Amino acid sequence: MKWVTLVFLGSFLALFVYVSADLPDRADPQAPANEYLAPDYVELTQEEIEIPNLVSAILADFRGYDTLGETVVIFTAGLAVLLVLMRGYRRDDGTS
Amino acid sequence: MTEPHDSVILHLVVRVFMLPFIFVFGIYVLIHGESSPGGGFQAGAIIAAAVVLGRLTLGTEHAGHRVPTHLLTWFASFGVAIYVIAGIVPLFFGANYLDYSQLPLGWFNDVATHERTNRAMGIFIIEIGVFIAVLSTLVIMYDYLTERFQDD
Repeated sequence: MKWVTLVFLGSFLALFVYVSADLPDRADPQAPANEYLAPDYVELTQEEIEIPNLVSAILADFRGYDTLGETVVIFTAGLAVLLVLMRGYRRDDGTS
Repeated sequence: MTEPHDSVILHLVVRVFMLPFIFVFGIYVLIHGESSPGGGFQAGAIIAAAVVLGRLTLGTEHAGHRVPTHLLTWFASFGVAIYVIAGIVPLFFGANYLDYSQLPLGWFNDVATHERTNRAMGIFIIEIGVFIAVLSTLVIMYDYLTERFQDD
């Protein structure tokens, strides 16, 4: 069984290495991922927002909904921790 | 874990050499989030690390006077509320949700020395909201995880 797993993982490794040769180079402007919206983001950040940090502009402005969701997720996680750990929490007046 | 640590050296190093610099660096990361790497999430995490460090060394009782536990839930909600309100306000000025370009912030350019676009200021406002929410949430987690060690 151990050998089956190893062969399975090894074949996956070989597959990924083989496929990675076809990936576009990093920061290639002609790559499919960089052709659709990325040029607009780069240009509009300079023209309309006028801040140097492209990442902040995308995170907070172009992808504002996404960041709002992230914030709510973190907030909800904090509330969940609070609610779970407050079980059995005793108030000062003795009621629980 | 919640009592003050005995070591004088630890107190000196933390109070004099570490906490002030971590706080200043966190604020720096927050307000320079638009022009350098940084932003609300990172600044919130840095400041929360400083607050937790203070609670670990100085004791929750002492450090809790400065960042009280019972207010943190309000702070976290307030941070999210800043974000949501910054999204809702443009709706009343004929724009889409979260369209900062229509935020009524034109007066700010009259008093500020450096002119900025509305969208840049909108980004800054929501980063403050994210900062407050992340900071409060992380400290909430620490406080309620160690709460059971406080009483006995």
